[in-house]
Amino acid sequence: MGLPTAPGAGVRPRIALAACLLLAAPAAALGQSTHLIVVSGLSGEPRYAAAFHEWATMLIEAAQARWGLPSANIVYLAEKVERDPARISGRATREAVESSFKTVAAKSAADDAVFIVLIGHGASRDGIASFNLPGPDLSAEDFARSLEAFATQRLVFVNTASASGEFIKALSGPNRTIITATKSGFERNETLFANYFVEAFAADGADVDKDQRVSALEAFNYARREVARVYETDGRLLTEHALLDDNGDGEGSLEPDATSADGALARRTFLAAPAGELIEAIAADPELAALYAEKSKLEERVITLRQMKDGMDPEVYERELEALLVELALKTRAIREREGSGR
Amino acid sequence: MRSRRGVTVGVVVAILLAAANSWGQSRLAGAYDALRSGRYDEAIRAFRAQTQGGAGAESIQAVRGLVRALSEVGRYGEAEEAARERIRSDSSELSNTLGEVLVFRGRREEAARLFERAIAGGASDSLVARLNLAVLRFGSGAVSEALAEFDRFIDVYNRNRERLSAQELTAVGTAVRYLGVENPQLFKDALRAYDAAIAADPSDLRPRVLLGELFLEKYNSADAVSAFSDVLAINPDHPGALLGQARRARFDGQPEALSLATRALEINPSLVQARVFLAELRLELEDYPEAAAEAGRALEINPSSLEALSVLAAAHRLQGDQRGFEEARREVFAINPRYADFYTRLSDLSARTRLYAEAADHARRAVELDPRSWRGYALLGINELRLGAIEEGRNHLEQAFEGDPYDVWTKNTLDLLDTFDEYDEVKTERFVLFVDRKESDLISLYMGGLAEEAYDRLAQLYDYEPSAPIRVEVYRSHADFSVRTFGLVGVGALGVSFGPVVAMDAPSARGPGEFNWGSTLWHEIAHSFHLGLTQGRVPRWFSEGLAVFEERRARPGWGDDVTPGFLTAYLQGRLLPVANLNDGFARPSYPEQLGYSYYEASLVCEFIERKAGGVALAEMLRGYRAGLSTDAVFRRVLKTDVEAFGNEFFDYLETRFRAPLAAMRPDRQLEHGQRPSRAQLEGWAKEGDDFYAVLMLARALLEEGELEAAVTHLERAKSLFPEYAGPASPYELLAHAHQRMGAPERAAAELEALTAINERNYAANLELAELRESQGDVARAAAALDRAVYIYPYDMALHERLADLYSRLGDEAAEIRERRAVLALDPVDRPEALYELVRAYYQSGDWVAARRTVLQALEEAPGFERAQDLLLEIRERGR
Repeated sequence: MGLPTAPGAGVRPRIALAACLLLAAPAAALGQSTHLIVVSGLSGEPRYAAAFHEWATMLIEAAQARWGLPSANIVYLAEKVERDPARISGRATREAVESSFKTVAAKSAADDAVFIVLIGHGASRDGIASFNLPGPDLSAEDFARSLEAFATQRLVFVNTASASGEFIKALSGPNRTIITATKSGFERNETLFANYFVEAFAADGADVDKDQRVSALEAFNYARREVARVYETDGRLLTEHALLDDNGDGEGSLEPDATSADGALARRTFLAAPAGELIEAIAADPELAALYAEKSKLEERVITLRQMKDGMDPEVYERELEALLVELALKTRAIREREGSGR
Repeated sequence: MRSRRGVTVGVVVAILLAAANSWGQSRLAGAYDALRSGRYDEAIRAFRAQTQGGAGAESIQAVRGLVRALSEVGRYGEAEEAARERIRSDSSELSNTLGEVLVFRGRREEAARLFERAIAGGASDSLVARLNLAVLRFGSGAVSEALAEFDRFIDVYNRNRERLSAQELTAVGTAVRYLGVENPQLFKDALRAYDAAIAADPSDLRPRVLLGELFLEKYNSADAVSAFSDVLAINPDHPGALLGQARRARFDGQPEALSLATRALEINPSLVQARVFLAELRLELEDYPEAAAEAGRALEINPSSLEALSVLAAAHRLQGDQRGFEEARREVFAINPRYADFYTRLSDLSARTRLYAEAADHARRAVELDPRSWRGYALLGINELRLGAIEEGRNHLEQAFEGDPYDVWTKNTLDLLDTFDEYDEVKTERFVLFVDRKESDLISLYMGGLAEEAYDRLAQLYDYEPSAPIRVEVYRSHADFSVRTFGLVGVGALGVSFGPVVAMDAPSARGPGEFNWGSTLWHEIAHSFHLGLTQGRVPRWFSEGLAVFEERRARPGWGDDVTPGFLTAYLQGRLLPVANLNDGFARPSYPEQLGYSYYEASLVCEFIERKAGGVALAEMLRGYRAGLSTDAVFRRVLKTDVEAFGNEFFDYLETRFRAPLAAMRPDRQLEHGQRPSRAQLEGWAKEGDDFYAVLMLARALLEEGELEAAVTHLERAKSLFPEYAGPASPYELLAHAHQRMGAPERAAAELEALTAINERNYAANLELAELRESQGDVARAAAALDRAVYIYPYDMALHERLADLYSRLGDEAAEIRERRAVLALDPVDRPEALYELVRAYYQSGDWVAARRTVLQALEEAPGFERAQDLLLEIRERGR
C-alpha cells in the first residue's frame, strides 16, 4: 500500500487557493496592494544590531520571494545604512520614519494594506512609551500622529520591542491591527517576539488554516506560541506577553481569534500581493467563479457547524462535518479540473 | 555610748553579712556560669561548696544547681542523693527538685508525691511543680485532668506576666504547648512564652532548647537549627541541644545525626531520649537487634520510659518477634492506657522502613485510641496516599490540618492535592499514569508501553505479579514530587516507589541530560515488585542495588555506571562492606557515598547473578519475605555468610575492574582547585598507567589542535578505562577529534560506544543520529533519537525527524507514535501535524483512525487541500 500524495506534492500554486477567500472578501479588496515598512531601531550592542538586521532582511526577503510584494512597495530604515546599502532605504531617524509614512501613504491606494514593523528596543518612562531610534526617539503619541496619514488603508502596526504594550492604547483605531510584543510598559526585558513574528512569514508552520497565506493573526499566534515554547523549554518565566488589538477598543487580546473580541480583521489581513491572474481567470469563467463561490460557502458552513459543536450530539456532529468536508473536497477537485490542473 | 557602740557593731555585722552574702551570691553565680558554659565538673564542685552553707536561700539555690548539673551529665544517683541530703521535713523547697530527678529514672509515683508536696507547701518553685505533676498525669493517661491543669497556666500568665521568672515562663510555655492539642493557635503562645523566658533570663538555656524542639515538632528545621545553635554557642556540650541538633539533622537527612546523638551521650550517658533516638536510627538502618539493645539500655535508666518501650516494641515487631512486641505494648498501656504516640511512633518507624500498609494500620489505631492525635491523622493520611487511597488520604489529612495547622508536611501535601485536578489519569492494562494534563498526551505515549514492558519482564524474572493497577504519578515540578514523597521541598531523588504507588519527576522537572526518565521509571517499578514480593521486608541496599541492576538488564546503557570516583573510593577503602551497605543509604558518611552505594549494591546483585544465577536474586527476595535477616538470606540462598560473601565480592570487583583500578592514582590527587602542570601531566602520562593524566593531556592536545597526538592519548585512556563514558570521556573527545579530522564514520562509532554506556547524554544521541542519517544508516539514526526521547521528550523537531526515519524504515507503529508525539507538543501548525498522522495511519491501513484524524485536520482548516484529497481517498479505500 502506498500513499498517493507525498507531503507538498500536487499542491497547486498558492495563489489559486487564495481565491476562495478573495471571493468572500469585499470587492474592493481584490485589487488591493500591500506595502511594508520595516524600521530597525537603535541597537546599543553589535549583537543586537546583527539580530535586528537579520530579522528585518528575513522579513523583507520573505515578503518579496514568498509573498510576491514588489520591492517598490517595501521601505527598510535601519540604524546604519552602510550595513546593507542595497536593502536599506535610509537611516532610521525620527524624521526619516515620519517621512516614509507620508510617502507610503501618498502612493498607496485607499484600500491598500500597509504593514509597519518596528524591530528594536523600546522604553516606557513616566507614562511615555517610545521606540528607540538613532537620535530622538519616537513615542507612541508621535506614531499616532504619523499614522493619521493612513486614513483609509488597512493598517498593521507591529512593535516587537520591549515595553511596547502601551502602544496599543495610543494607536488603536478602526481598520487597524496593532500588535505589541509585551502587554505593558513594565515588561522591559529583551524580547524574542520579533524573531518568531518574522519566522511566521519566512518559514513554514504559521499557515494554520492552509489557505496558502499567512495572515496577521496567524503570524501573531505563531510568534506568541513559539515565544512561550522557548521560555517553557528554557525553564524561564515568561516575561513578554504579546497583545493584538484589531477592534479599535484600545484593549489588546492575549489570545485573539476570529470569533473573539480581537482577531477578525487580522485574520483577513495578509502580507501578500493581490492574486491578479486568478482574479482575471475567475472574471473570464463564470462556471469557475460559481465553483469558487460554492466552495467558499461550504467553508463558511464548516465554520458555522464548528461553532455549534458544543451543543450537538458528537455522532451527529461528526456525521454532518464529514458530509460537509467531503462535499468541500469534491468541490476543490472540480475546481482543479475546471482549471485544468487536476491530479 | 553603748547604744551607739551597739549600733556601730550592728552596722559592722550588717556590712560583714552583706559582704558575705554578696560573696556567696557571686560564688553561686560563678557556679551557674560554669554550668551554663558546660564546665560541668567545675560547676558541680562549686555548687557542692555552696551547699555546705546551711539552709538559706543561697544554699537551696546551690542544691538546685548541683542537682541540675549532675542531672545534665546523667549522674542521677548522685543528684538524687544531693537532693535527699538537703531536703528537710519541714520545708517543701527541694521537693520539686528531687521529683524531677526521680522522673529521669522512671519513679513516677514517688515523683508525683514530691511535686504535690512542693505545691502544698508553697515552695518557691511550686508553679514548676504544678507543671511537672500535670505532665506526669498527662503521661499516665489522665489527659483531661492534665489539660485542665495546663489551662490554669494561662490565667497565671495573664495575671502575673510581669512577675514570672524565666523558669516559670518556661513552665507556662510547656503547659500551653500541651494545650496546643486542643487549640493549635496556642502553639504560638507557647513560642511567645519561651521567648519571654529567654528575654527574662538570657542565660537560661532550657527555654531555648524547648523552643528548638517545638520548631522541629512543627517541621520548621531552619528556626530549630537557629535555636539549638544559640545554645551550643554558649555551651557546646549541652546534651539537650546536641540531641536537638541530631534530631534536626535526621529531619534534614544529614549524616551527622548519629555523631551528634553519640556526642550527647558522651556528655550524658543516661540521656534516655538520646538512647531512644539512637535506637530509632538503628531501626532506620534496619539493624533491629542493635535497636532493641539500645532501647534496652534506655529502659535500664528509666524502666517506665514510654518512648523507649515503644521503640523496643517496634524493634520486636520489625524483627517479626510478635511476643516481644506484645509484651512491650502491654507495658506501655499499663503505664498509660491512652498513649496514642505508641502507634504514631510505630507508624512513623514502619514508614521509614517502607512498611506503608503497616504504617497506615498503626496510625489508624492511634486515632482510634485518641481522636485528638493529629499526628496520627497526618500519618494515616500520608500513608494512605502512599498506598494509592487518595480520597481517604485527603480526608484524613484534612482532619490532621484542622487539629494542627502548623504541620508543614500536612499543609504542603494538602496544597499538592489541590492541584490534582490539573492531572489526567491514563489507564493501561496494569498501570494508572497520573500526569499533568499539559503533558499527559506526550508522556503516556511512551510511559504506558514502557511500564507494561517492565511489568512483564520483572514478573517473569521474579515469578511474581504485584497487585494491579500500580499508580505512577509524574510531577512536572520537582518540588511537588518532593512534597509527595517527604512532605517538604528539597528531596534530591528522582523517583520513589511506595509499592502500589510510584512517584517521579517528569522529564520536564529537570533540564535535558539530567536524568533518563525511562530508566528511572523502570527502577521504581522494580521497587514495586521488590516491596510487593517481600511485603516490604526487603532491606534498602538490596532493593536499590537490584533496581539499578534491573535498569541495566532492561536496556544497554541504562543504570548507574562505574566512575573514577567510585574506583578511587574503593582503593581508599571508603566503600562499605556488603554487610554494612545499608549505612550508605540511610546515613551516608560523605557526600558521594550514597551514589557509590547504589552502584556498589548493583554490582553485588550482578555478582550474585553471575555466581548463582538470576533465580538466586528472586530467591533472596523470598528469603526476606520469610522474615530472614540478610545474613540468613545469604546462608540460605548463596550458602555463605554475608561477611565471607563481602570478601568474595571485593575480589570480584578487583577482577572486574582490574585495568581501570590500576589506572587510578589517588596518590596523585591534588588539592581542590589545583591543576597539574603540563610537565607533570606529560610525565605521568608517559608512564602510561594514569587514566586522568592521559585523559587530561589528551584534552590539552585537543584544545591545541594536535589532533593526531590527542587521538593517540585518547585511545590509550579508553583502553585504560573502557567503561568510563561520563563527562569528557575518551569516547566523547574522540568523536570530536574524528569529526574535526573529517572521519565521521569513526566519530559515529565513538558516539555509538558512548551512548551504549551513558544513559543521559542527550547531545551525543542527537549528534550520532545526524551522523548516521548522513551516512544513510537510517536504523541507527532512529535508534539514537529513540534513546534521546527517554532523556528529553519535548523537542518537537526530534519527533518529526524520528517519525520520518521510522517512515523510511517502514515501522508504521513507531511512526504513528512519533506523529502523535508531535501533536502532543501542541504545534502551531496543528492541521499539518494531523495530516502527517493521517498519512501514517493510512500507511498502516488503519482507516478508522485515518478517517477520524483527517476530519480533525479539516475541521481546523477546511480549505486544506492535501487533507481533502486524503479524505476522499480514505473513503474510497475504506469502503
